[in-house]
Amino acid sequence: MNTLTLAWIGLPFFVGFSIYLIPKFAKYLAIFGALASAAYAFQLFAMPSAVTLQLLDNFSVTLLVDRLSGYFILTNALVTAAVIIYCWPTEKTAFFYAQILMVHGSLNAAFASSDFISLYVGLEVSGIAAFLLIAYPRTDRSIWVALRYLFISNTAMLFYLVGAVLVYKASNSFSFAGLGAAPPEATALIFMALLVKGGVFVSGLWLPLTHSESETPVSALLSGIVVKAGVYPLVRCALMVEEVAPIVQIFGVGAALMGVFYGLFEKDTKRLLAFSTVSQLGWILVAPEAAGFYALAHGLVKSALFLIAGSLPSRDFKVLRQKQINTKLWIALVVGSLSISGFPFLVGFGAKMLTLKNLTPPYAIAMNVAAVGTAILFAKFIFLPRGGEAKSKPGFWPAVLLLLGGLIAANAFDVQAYTLENMLKAIAIIGVGWLAYFLIFQRTAIKLPRMLEQFDHLVGFMSLISLLLFWMALPQ
Amino acid sequence: MLEALVLATVFCGFFGIIFKKNLLMKIVCMDVMSTGVIAYYVVVASREGLLTPIISKGKNVVAYADPVPQAVILTAIVIGFSIQALMLVSVMKLARDNPTLESNEIEMNNTP
Repeated sequence: MNTLTLAWIGLPFFVGFSIYLIPKFAKYLAIFGALASAAYAFQLFAMPSAVTLQLLDNFSVTLLVDRLSGYFILTNALVTAAVIIYCWPTEKTAFFYAQILMVHGSLNAAFASSDFISLYVGLEVSGIAAFLLIAYPRTDRSIWVALRYLFISNTAMLFYLVGAVLVYKASNSFSFAGLGAAPPEATALIFMALLVKGGVFVSGLWLPLTHSESETPVSALLSGIVVKAGVYPLVRCALMVEEVAPIVQIFGVGAALMGVFYGLFEKDTKRLLAFSTVSQLGWILVAPEAAGFYALAHGLVKSALFLIAGSLPSRDFKVLRQKQINTKLWIALVVGSLSISGFPFLVGFGAKMLTLKNLTPPYAIAMNVAAVGTAILFAKFIFLPRGGEAKSKPGFWPAVLLLLGGLIAANAFDVQAYTLENMLKAIAIIGVGWLAYFLIFQRTAIKLPRMLEQFDHLVGFMSLISLLLFWMALPQ
Repeated sequence: MLEALVLATVFCGFFGIIFKKNLLMKIVCMDVMSTGVIAYYVVVASREGLLTPIISKGKNVVAYADPVPQAVILTAIVIGFSIQALMLVSVMKLARDNPTLESNEIEMNNTP
């Protein structure tokens, strides 16, 4: 298993660089890279215990793969495969596929690492490759959005490096477990950077613009999996070091509520999906025990929804309400929306119930509110008029069917959630959400200011969030 | 003292990112900040000694510098350098339509 793990980490990079040598086979090589990861993830689920690898000495790279990373790796593989299939009939160059594999490989490395430096390398490489994907159309706007993304993530990662060396100073190793012995400023700096990278709470306000202004397949990739690279280490630290778990949970609740709040007043489909990502990342953080399963559920559904939103006739809800959308497209949209709202028989239900089961009362109340909010957000999609005739792109259906099929098949991971009580609860949450949508939110025309999404404020908030984290991490 | 100076460099860079209006200057400020971070790793490495950590046949008990942070920061230098290069290329592209490179102007022109 050790050799297999190392080969699996190296494979996407090897295949990705081979694409430059044989650009004719770019698509085939790319899909091969993604499928190999999926096979590895299933191998992980079959393993009885976690695999830990310590290369060389206790100063160097440590890797840890278990069921939690298995879920993230499987999500990564499925989302990447769906995006490649979506792009199959288009005229994308070999460069594009090579970058997709770079993102895929660096995320795999991030999901397997359990020390701060390997994680740093994984996050930075994924940031660079994501930058190249966002800037792929070469328009001024795409270049600015990509530059803004890279600038913010790199500034955060510089703080992260300072935090990492503080951990090293305290425990003479870079491993995650050293965080327990590290001073509070180390926790503050590292967590602030991961919150920025993962798009959580106020630090994540760079995310709506980046995810909504990218091309459809790139947004699916970014929202489906790239942001999870920032969330995974937070979850892993919360599981390894008991003292930091409450910090992670509080930020999870904050993100879940903030994302929903912003989303309620959003008039644009892709921005609404992006805000919903902010909220769902909070769901992943709030219950570290259930994080892997939730990440799988969210990754599949969000990339499917982004692909579908790219095929809708307009991005503006006002225009969409006047037009009829293709019935088949509408059915796909409803399946995705129901899953993310937590409707039974789709994986979102099992994930939500597992998360809620792992929470203590004050958190559970807040998360139930967030669940109702999510149902309101997606009622906006479900109650769009249907019956129109519109052709979809050739690669669209195979990709979306793969993701939606995954939504149903992934139920197998958690069959215990299907009790009568849980099902009634889920339906009640959705019912309350839809009622609120019809009574209040269908007609609201409030526009929230976007001031906090400006570049300078995003950078400034890094210092405020680190101060807040420092205060939270101080030993009581 | 050394540590304080290094951290002052980091903060100078950080505040430069916020307060400089020109996009190119912002990128240069980020480089200043990254210089500070790299220097901090070197300071941490030299806590217990300054000599090169090479095992020799003679006496081995010398105050040598910790090799781990130095090795680690090499990776970060390479990554930082490649990110700088990418950013400067995109600034060159942006400069064609926004010759003054004022970041809030560029932001206003390119945000929906």
